[in-house]
Amino acid sequence: MNIYFFYISLFFYLLSTACYLLFLTMNRNIIEKFGHYSLFSGFCIHFLATLVRYFNAGYTPITNIYESLSFFSLCIAGFFLYLKRIYRIEIIGCIILPILSVLLIWASTFPTEIRPLPPVLKSYWLPIHTIFSFVGNAIFFISFFISLLYLVVERGIKKKKFPSIATRFPSLETLDLINYRCMSYGFPFLTVGIITGSIWASVAWGSYWSWDPKETWSLVTWIVYAILIHNRLAIGWRGRKTAYMMIIGFFFILITFLGVNFFAGGLHSYI
Amino acid sequence: MTSDILLLEKNMHINVFGLNHNTAPIEIREKLYCSESDVPVILKKLKDWGLYESVVISTCNRTEIYFCSDDSNNSEESIKKIDAFLMEHFGVALDWLKNYTYRFCDEEAYRHLFLVASGLDSMVIGEPQILGQVKDAYRMATFHNTTGFFLDKAFHKTFNVAKRIRTETRIGYNPLSISSMAIELSKKIFGELNRKKILVIGAGEMCEIALKYFKKEGLTGIFITNRTFQHAQKLAEDITGIPCPLQDIPDLLTKVDMVLSSTGSEKPIIDKELVVSIMKKRKNRPLFFIDIAMPRDIDPEVNHIENVYLYDIDDLKGLSQQHLSDRLKESEKAHTIIEEEVVKFSHWLEQLEKNPLITHIIDVVEETRSNELKRMMQKMKYVDEETLRNMDLLTRSIVNKLIHRHISLIRQNGSPSLLEIMKQLFKFEEENEKEMDSGNEGK
Repeated sequence: MNIYFFYISLFFYLLSTACYLLFLTMNRNIIEKFGHYSLFSGFCIHFLATLVRYFNAGYTPITNIYESLSFFSLCIAGFFLYLKRIYRIEIIGCIILPILSVLLIWASTFPTEIRPLPPVLKSYWLPIHTIFSFVGNAIFFISFFISLLYLVVERGIKKKKFPSIATRFPSLETLDLINYRCMSYGFPFLTVGIITGSIWASVAWGSYWSWDPKETWSLVTWIVYAILIHNRLAIGWRGRKTAYMMIIGFFFILITFLGVNFFAGGLHSYI
Repeated sequence: MTSDILLLEKNMHINVFGLNHNTAPIEIREKLYCSESDVPVILKKLKDWGLYESVVISTCNRTEIYFCSDDSNNSEESIKKIDAFLMEHFGVALDWLKNYTYRFCDEEAYRHLFLVASGLDSMVIGEPQILGQVKDAYRMATFHNTTGFFLDKAFHKTFNVAKRIRTETRIGYNPLSISSMAIELSKKIFGELNRKKILVIGAGEMCEIALKYFKKEGLTGIFITNRTFQHAQKLAEDITGIPCPLQDIPDLLTKVDMVLSSTGSEKPIIDKELVVSIMKKRKNRPLFFIDIAMPRDIDPEVNHIENVYLYDIDDLKGLSQQHLSDRLKESEKAHTIIEEEVVKFSHWLEQLEKNPLITHIIDVVEETRSNELKRMMQKMKYVDEETLRNMDLLTRSIVNKLIHRHISLIRQNGSPSLLEIMKQLFKFEEENEKEMDSGNEGK
């Protein structure tokens, strides 16, 4: 059942992607609107799919690769919709949506059936820890693209050369502000994710911190973002420096989130 | 009423007669410039001569008269009349008119109108003001009742074409003038400018022009400094800014977001060290320098400081060049659109001429509309011109939309029963028909 919802939502995401790519070449608001509503429908159905899976399986469906990628995409879509409500950043849909679609198609290549939950994951901490971590990661994921765009636009203005598409990009100040928002929302989520993780670890593995690869890398990631926030608030690092730090931070997120599971193993290898 | 129908029966031609910056030097254009008070006089004259529909467009780069003529009142004759009138009204020689003007008829005439309204015929290609000027000219003509079915249709079509070109091509996308480019760049950096502050160094003409543009964006603070403080004060009064002495510059730099500089100073006024120290105080909030002075007022090294952006006059001119070549590229697309629309419009006209019932319907409806509008005007006591114009436009567009369905039905489905219903509906009497027939035979 949930898998059908999943495919329907994927269809809407693909539709939205097509709209946004068309919007890139043809600057018509109606196309963007259509893309926006497809994205919104996709998000709602995707949310429903996750909910249905939750009731079918009896546990929070963030336990294997398929479920994780699907939930991660859901968070990205949700946060992007939230940002779109506040800022005029339609054009960023042209980057976010193709990636969202690729993530979901990738997710669908992994086994999707519901399997019994490993005993070690049966805990109240499962939803709390995973949801906080995923939302945090999704926010930083979006800020990564915002930062890339910032660097492109900033370079254009400094070098006094604008590609023809650049007229439609958001202003530097908007991009920087979004980065700041991402930082101030993402960091608390990440922090709570790590703290709840360590509490859960003490329950499940008997120790708060055992320098497992996942734990180590998430600490490194946390430190990177902590430095970034400190510099922003204390020394006034903004603009390009923030963007660079956000990009570096995102690579640490990638290592922690995917790299550790795929290559390093350790205690935290469930997916 | 009947004569009107017969009139539409004959082939109507849309004509344009005029001159522009390509065909006539400024001395001639000056002579033939029609001021706002001239236009009604000309429109009235043309009407008296039996030109049923006419519109006069007059800007600093062009003077054009659009009019309708039919086969009896052929365009050659009308043009002779116009020549005579212009010679008399403006006191110009006939060979001037012959040498410096152009005359187009039918397809070429409305193609020309499309080109003009979409800015493709302008001196600065793609400039947006011309569309407003064409709209004003049309409103002026409707206000003096000198437009009729054909020019109404032609001008409404023109506004559509111009809008289509605005949205489908990027012809008016990038600004060309120094001031609007400075605004555009500021928006690239800051987004909306309504909470930003600007510091102006120098109170010359360049600054004044640019400031007027900035003012429209709703800045919250305008600080003006100048070597001669009185000049700063004067400009500040004109533009409701705050005059400041020169030595306040370092202080002001920590407050403002943009700096516009245009002084006659030989040496740079703002150097890199100053800006570096200021950026620390600003906590790196972005700062945008626009240096339109020659020699430059701001050390070019400043552009290398993080979150500081500097554009000097050469950068702006280079950008303007680039934008101009973009516009030329886009104008090709616009020309294709215009050709498309020209074909559509001439097709529409052809079809219209064939059917007396259609012209009858149009007339009946137009008569009702104008009568109702007049009645309404009499009832309403305090109507300003703007409302009057808008009501006129509104009713026109409602009526056009309503009868459009009937007309397209008649065109698509010419079955006798349908035609009969339409004839009854619009009281298309046999008498009229007979006259039509005799008219046709006469041809």
